[in-house]
Amino acid sequence: MWHIAKRELYDNLNSLRFALATVLLFGLMLTNAVVHLREHPVRVQKYHDAITESLNRLRARTDLYEIAQWGPELLHKKPSPLHFCTDGGDIVLPGTIYQSVSRITNDLYTFWYLSYRYRTPNSKNIRPATIKVDWEFVIGYVLSLIAILFTFDSISGERERGTLRLMLANSIPRHTVLLGKFLGALISISAPLTLAVLMNLLIISVSNNVQLDAEAWRRLGIVFFVAVLYLCLFLALGLLVSSRVQQNATSLVILLLIWVSFVVFIPSTLASIASGFSNPMTYDEYRERHDRLYSELGDEYNARLQGTRELPTERMQLTGEYVTKGAARGERLSHERLNQEHAQIQLARSVTRISPVAIVQHLIEAFAGTGFERHRQFVENVQDYAREYREFVGDMDRADPDSPHTIGVREGMSKKPVNPEAVPKFEDRLSLSRDFNTAAVDLLLLVLFFVVFFSGAYLAFVRVEV
Amino acid sequence: MLLTLIRRELLDNLMTFRFAAAVLIMLLLVVANTAVLIKDYERRLAAYNTALKTHHQQLWERKTYSGGKLDIARPPNPLSIFNVGLDKQLESETWISHSYVPTLWDADMLGTTNPLLNLFSSIDIVFIFEIVLSLIALIFAYDALAGERERGTLRLVLTHSVSRGQILLAKYISAMICLLVPLLMSLLLAMILLMTSVTISLSLGDFLRIGGIIFSSISYLSVFYLIGMLISAATTRTGTALMLAMFVWGFSVLVYPNVVIAAIAPPQTSQAGMVSTFNQIKQIWEELDRERKHFLANDPVPGEDPSFGMVRSGFAYEYFYEDASVLYYHYGAGAHVLELNEESEPQVPHAQDYYRFLVPRSVDAAERTWLVRKTALDTVFVQPAIVDRILLRFSPVGMYDAATQAWAGTDLSGLRDFFEAARKYRRTVIDYYYDKNAFGSRQWFSADKEMVDWDNLPRFSFQKSDARINAERALPDLLLLLIMNLLLFIVILLVFQRSEV
Repeated sequence: MWHIAKRELYDNLNSLRFALATVLLFGLMLTNAVVHLREHPVRVQKYHDAITESLNRLRARTDLYEIAQWGPELLHKKPSPLHFCTDGGDIVLPGTIYQSVSRITNDLYTFWYLSYRYRTPNSKNIRPATIKVDWEFVIGYVLSLIAILFTFDSISGERERGTLRLMLANSIPRHTVLLGKFLGALISISAPLTLAVLMNLLIISVSNNVQLDAEAWRRLGIVFFVAVLYLCLFLALGLLVSSRVQQNATSLVILLLIWVSFVVFIPSTLASIASGFSNPMTYDEYRERHDRLYSELGDEYNARLQGTRELPTERMQLTGEYVTKGAARGERLSHERLNQEHAQIQLARSVTRISPVAIVQHLIEAFAGTGFERHRQFVENVQDYAREYREFVGDMDRADPDSPHTIGVREGMSKKPVNPEAVPKFEDRLSLSRDFNTAAVDLLLLVLFFVVFFSGAYLAFVRVEV
Repeated sequence: MLLTLIRRELLDNLMTFRFAAAVLIMLLLVVANTAVLIKDYERRLAAYNTALKTHHQQLWERKTYSGGKLDIARPPNPLSIFNVGLDKQLESETWISHSYVPTLWDADMLGTTNPLLNLFSSIDIVFIFEIVLSLIALIFAYDALAGERERGTLRLVLTHSVSRGQILLAKYISAMICLLVPLLMSLLLAMILLMTSVTISLSLGDFLRIGGIIFSSISYLSVFYLIGMLISAATTRTGTALMLAMFVWGFSVLVYPNVVIAAIAPPQTSQAGMVSTFNQIKQIWEELDRERKHFLANDPVPGEDPSFGMVRSGFAYEYFYEDASVLYYHYGAGAHVLELNEESEPQVPHAQDYYRFLVPRSVDAAERTWLVRKTALDTVFVQPAIVDRILLRFSPVGMYDAATQAWAGTDLSGLRDFFEAARKYRRTVIDYYYDKNAFGSRQWFSADKEMVDWDNLPRFSFQKSDARINAERALPDLLLLLIMNLLLFIVILLVFQRSEV
């Protein structure tokens, strides 16, 4: 077997395709590193500026009522240091979560709530739309194409030349031949890939602007493993088709058409079809429900206010009740819309798992800490923080014995100045263990794909006539 | 002889597996994606219609002329099904007012669909052609000459009294006929789907534009076929030809467009330049403010109160809008008086004088601002985008994309037409106000006596540019494609003439 693998390896190393593939991989990885070094410091700087600004605004407040009314300012998503692995569509994902207040009656506003309203950052971009040159592109598109170009003729070519018969005349079992060919191709592609990846990481880690910690390296290791697994998958597919088909040309045509549909079209087309099945609340519907909610709330409030004309304490309690109730309902409504939107994307993403490239995309996103799952994690972090912030307000108010404890009204809340340092601060976190849990399914699917293709190739080759 | 050759080649090509596979995959992809695209278009059209309705309602809720802004929306382009370009991505809702001229950078999105859906790239028909057609063309071409040379049949053919040019021509013509089958069949199916959709109505101009798109597709197809043929003529073995063809394809379709855009540093906006332009714009409005204050100080009513001490119900506003990142700065003022009491009545003529003085000046200031702003924003945002597009044209994919976008009207110029139309519409509205003498009228700020009749206000409707203009915009890229065809053919001829069989 090693003999066959070695023969394949030498064959490949001297070929034109090996040279071209190596140049391509190195060129792409170099571009990726250079672009990352240029863009990442800007991204990090922007994030730091943004959080400093939010923090300063937060610190400027010492009055508990104001803290409770206006909320914690803009909350920002922390950029991942592994942004060069995949961009994950960050340009269309909001990096900031806003808060709103809504009007209940003419002079009564709710407290802050998370409104998840955002602008699409891409909507002013008139530069031509392209795919980002990141690891995901190199692995998902280029590596799979290279895998196909290395294997499409590995069996059909030998059959055409007649050398297959010659080889099988020796006492080598067929599966050994197949495995040898597989390993030969695997090594001859992973060698330039590994070198290109190492060069890329070397450039990135040597620079002072980007620091990679131990966890980042662990994540990179996993991403590389995923890349090799994905490469194996396409090699197995190539062997499968190559052993079923008589002619080189036919084998290549079939493989290329499979590649084009799997890699380029299925992820987008299926996602578009799948997203047509659910209809999340549109912005117009949201506006309408929002306006109705607050006009109803306002009417209810006015009606109940009539009954408390001479009772200032009850009046105050009523106002406080509506201020907090309005915020809770507003948040529930925008949360409902957000959930529907996320569910739509989630469904579309699960359907695209039919295509291995989508699986790899999800995996790399999960380990690089970018993309949709990461965005959901950010939203969850924000929600946890919002809870913590509200609890803080409640605790501060309870701690003051002089306060009437009516949250929502200025007169009803503690008037003691709040130490700005004590206000909880938002910090966005990434956690590897969580990422691994969400990615486990994808990883299993990828392995399953590989096993299916490889056993298919094995069966096809064992039964084939030479 | 030529005909015999063509017939032989045609039969050779038509009966192959790759031909059947090519037709099948094209039809599948185009039909599936067209259905998705039509649905998407319908969704956007619904959003547009809702927006029109809302705008109409909001207009009627406004009882005074100064009520501020007139909202306008860009209808989705039905030809975006062919090449979506910037049609879906850029924001499509904006507004005009006497004191404000819109640009591309202060539009809003018609907020109906889930913005996160942009995570999935949308695939249009031209994109399918870009990827699949070029691949199929190369698969047809790589063994056209190398294969015959390897099998020895080329020598056989050349023993007859055929010139080498004739062989090339015959091969080219027959292969193009074969390749046109999947192209035209899939387009036909797409057209049938388009026609069956009730919401899409295509005009004669649209058919001309689609014709232009088809013609561009054919030239694109031909470029890739010729590239494949060149490789085939220059190599002796089919294996090498195939590898080269595949890497050329991968490079020009997948790698080059993405790498070149990534490698070009995004434009460094010169902060100083932006700040100085912003100050220039601010000055225009500050000058207006000074004139305004001067007027208020010198008119017969004491004090500088722009509402002249009128006691009223309703509201008035006055503010400066600003957003330095897109040089957005203007002064908006207006009033919406519902009722005036008796004592305020003598003040009304003064207010009328004030607005008669102020409004034409803010109209003028808005136009001057627009001129300054447009030049500055063009250098900051538009120039880099144009440079990007020029760089993309080094690959045939870029030329093809640009040509079809221009035909479909979803390119940058097509979208700027909308803002041009918005500006013209603003002019029309202002002329209409002048005709009605609206600036000096009581209805400018007050609805207590008489409400504004919005029925006669000219309506905005965005007409796409003429098909001739689309053709003019597409012509440079189309010519580039054709020239490339010609050059490739000449080179192949030279290489093939000199090659040994």
